[in-house]
Amino acid sequence: MKRFLILFLLINTVITSQTNSIKGRIINENAQPIFGANIVVVGTNYGDASDENGFFEIKNIPFGNYELKVSCIGYETRRIKVNLDNNLKLLTVVLKTSVIETEQIVVSAGKFEQKKEDLTVSTTIIQPEFINRKNYKTFDELLRDIPGVQMNLEQVSIRGSSGYSKGVGARVLAAINGIPFYSGDNGDVVWEMIPLSDIERVEIIKGPASSLYGTSAIGGVINIITRLPVKSPVTNINSYFGAYDKPKYQTWRWNKNYRTFYGMEITHSNSVSNLGYTISLKKFDDLSYKRDSFSKKYLAYLKLNFKTSERSDLTIFTNYLNMNRGNFLYWKDSRHALIPKDEDTNKTVKSNRIFTGLIYHNKFSDKLVGDFKISHYYTRFDGYGVEVTSSDANLFRGEALFNYNFSKKVLFTSGIETSYSNVKSNIFSNTKFRGFAFYGQAEYRGLKNLIATFGIRYDYIDLMPVGSRDTISGKNALTPRAGLNYKLNDNLVFRASIGTGFRAPTPAEVFTTAGVGGGIDIKENPNLKSETSFSIETGLLYQYSSNISLDIAFYKTEYNNFIEPNLTKEGKIMFVNLSKARILGVEIINDINVIPSFLKLTLGYNYMWARDIEKKKAMKYRPRNTFNVQLRFTPLPFEFGVDFRYASKVEEIDFDVTQPPLALVRDGDKRVPVYVTDILVGYNFLLKNMPGKVYLNAKNIFNYYYVEFIGNLAPLRNISLNLQFYL
Amino acid sequence: MNKKLMNKKVFTVLAILVLLLFSKCDKGIEPEPEKPSGPAGFSGKITFVGKWPEGIKRTHLVVFKNIIQRSEDFFPPNLCFVSDSIPYNSSEFVYNSIENNFLPILQLGEGEYSYVVVAQSKTPEISLDRKDWFVVGVYCVNADQSKPAKLVINAGKITPNVNIVVDFNNPPPQPPM
Repeated sequence: MKRFLILFLLINTVITSQTNSIKGRIINENAQPIFGANIVVVGTNYGDASDENGFFEIKNIPFGNYELKVSCIGYETRRIKVNLDNNLKLLTVVLKTSVIETEQIVVSAGKFEQKKEDLTVSTTIIQPEFINRKNYKTFDELLRDIPGVQMNLEQVSIRGSSGYSKGVGARVLAAINGIPFYSGDNGDVVWEMIPLSDIERVEIIKGPASSLYGTSAIGGVINIITRLPVKSPVTNINSYFGAYDKPKYQTWRWNKNYRTFYGMEITHSNSVSNLGYTISLKKFDDLSYKRDSFSKKYLAYLKLNFKTSERSDLTIFTNYLNMNRGNFLYWKDSRHALIPKDEDTNKTVKSNRIFTGLIYHNKFSDKLVGDFKISHYYTRFDGYGVEVTSSDANLFRGEALFNYNFSKKVLFTSGIETSYSNVKSNIFSNTKFRGFAFYGQAEYRGLKNLIATFGIRYDYIDLMPVGSRDTISGKNALTPRAGLNYKLNDNLVFRASIGTGFRAPTPAEVFTTAGVGGGIDIKENPNLKSETSFSIETGLLYQYSSNISLDIAFYKTEYNNFIEPNLTKEGKIMFVNLSKARILGVEIINDINVIPSFLKLTLGYNYMWARDIEKKKAMKYRPRNTFNVQLRFTPLPFEFGVDFRYASKVEEIDFDVTQPPLALVRDGDKRVPVYVTDILVGYNFLLKNMPGKVYLNAKNIFNYYYVEFIGNLAPLRNISLNLQFYL
Repeated sequence: MNKKLMNKKVFTVLAILVLLLFSKCDKGIEPEPEKPSGPAGFSGKITFVGKWPEGIKRTHLVVFKNIIQRSEDFFPPNLCFVSDSIPYNSSEFVYNSIENNFLPILQLGEGEYSYVVVAQSKTPEISLDRKDWFVVGVYCVNADQSKPAKLVINAGKITPNVNIVVDFNNPPPQPPM
């Protein structure tokens, strides 16, 4: 009996003292290690922090059932149940980026890094998670879900800055890593070229930014920041397949099959010694729900990051896009809304584009930092219809940017820029475009809780036909700007800004002398002047808690010589200067983490009054009210989301071309308010300890029929399955 | 978090969302009802009385959507139709708007047109300047050229008997320059 008792106590001691370690790795959604994450065994004193490779180990924990709490600044906290015994394997924990972390978000669209809460203008930040979940095929689809941003087909407008002119002469400057990204002829942005897989974040400045970026930034800036070099090799495979529903009306059914779209992208990133690289290949095709609106695209992307020293690095990136697409311009009429006009049938456009950027970043001293940026953008398109239209453009840009910290109170940013483009085209004429600019901006933080900025930029731009010494459109422009940011307390920040903007006409606006299809001819206007603007914005950012944020902005912009296409007496379209236009509005954005880490709601409302002061009527293609709702429910590993967007019926359109006697677009004045609802269901999984996701997206689930532009029905209900995983 | 409170929050958010989603249930843009096929237009005869003025290079039948009140109303979009030029010294001109359309870019759709006139110009090329034109005949009520008649065009039909008498000895009132 005594022996048995000793044996029992011995076994019991051995059993109760059995311990093991909880080991694991913390990574983000892109399979990159997270350094410094805290891992705590709930209800105990056990814990650890992840190392630079994301690994952690909590030693000598008795066997049992536990809950781990994993948290890290900038990421959603996760709780994981663990059954600790001898069989416990290496854990892999994927953390998702936190959505409301205003203080943490750094914005560089102002040409130096600032916290979002320190900005003097309205800015929206888009995180990669926002992009991944909804299977956006191209970047412009994403912009439709951003409050205050409106898309008219492929043309972006921030707070009413643009109507629709077939992409010609953008008023919002798109940039990749701060390098402007618009073509030398049209001045348009080709959204398909943006590598969605390599986006770290997107910064959207709402309001004129000409004082830093010059022409084209008169309505705002969309700055796309690409990812930093990875620490460990990773290959991402992203593919999707989907189909459009058939239209409800028999008279619209032009094809008996479901129209499909699909895409496949492979991205590989790695670092070898001081060199980080990312290479990506993408093919994406869309048969389209409209006849002659198909697209077949190939995108290749390469980015190299050289760490040249402790204080400097060099980044080179290049995108190549090959696109072959149908050229659907307008519907035949509302009974044949998904087929083009007879004369536009079988029109196609083939294009090749290469954009290359180089950025050398050097920290000369603790006070002085410099960035040197050069870029080249080659575009070539050939439009095949009754006649062949073609354009071949090269745009070169160079910029030297310096940030100098005079003291902790004063930061000075300055730079010089030059650009040159050469266009050879049978529709835009052969033209040259030259630009030179310098700018400076000071930020002062000498007063308690107050940040004041003042900046000014000088631009000289001229446009001349090749072989001529006569400048058709020479322009000196001076664009000052000032802003204030006052932090009343930790929760409430006020901001105000006042500034000017300008935009020089593009070669396409001045020189186009061709039919653009649909029976519409464009006439050149060598007398076109640059447009200018004056804007005021005031707003506040209220952070009620870490779970509720409210951003309100009141804005007003006055445009002079506003450039818009108008119908001439001869029945042709010509870009002309409107004498004066005015846009007033208010924008409210409310982010609420209803249940932290699980349920998030975003509400965005924009009221806009946009008037052509001379004609005393609304400006074309500007809805007065827009409203966005985004709801995300993330009980991991599942995710659910609902997006709703509303835009009121636009008052003014190109009635000249929709109504008799021209009636070039029959039933073209049909338009309705926009009510679009999208839903998504996602499932996160681990494949060999690497994160993977599968999403089912249903867009426009109520199959609501609307137009963004005359005679162009927006996408019908479509459903797609998207699979993303890492190797 | 209290589970009851959590459920309440979820329910509130979902309720707001459902209200939003179903606040509009119509289907948006719809196709127009089917209309009679075939061309729409008008036809008739223009009779000229008296001696043609010297130096006339162009004579056209012209249709305007509305009465001309300003010089800009002389052009599109108010200008809706221009016939082929009528030969000098004609005594009558039988026309059909489908066959005698000088500017096919302008289309006469179904609807009402308030001012149908014959106008002359001394410019060899067609001019879009109001001062170059002189109205010599008006489609009117009871031969009173100061009271223009409305031309009504129905979908898929040709409106007949749109007849105008041009009396060079009795010109009609001129619209504003």
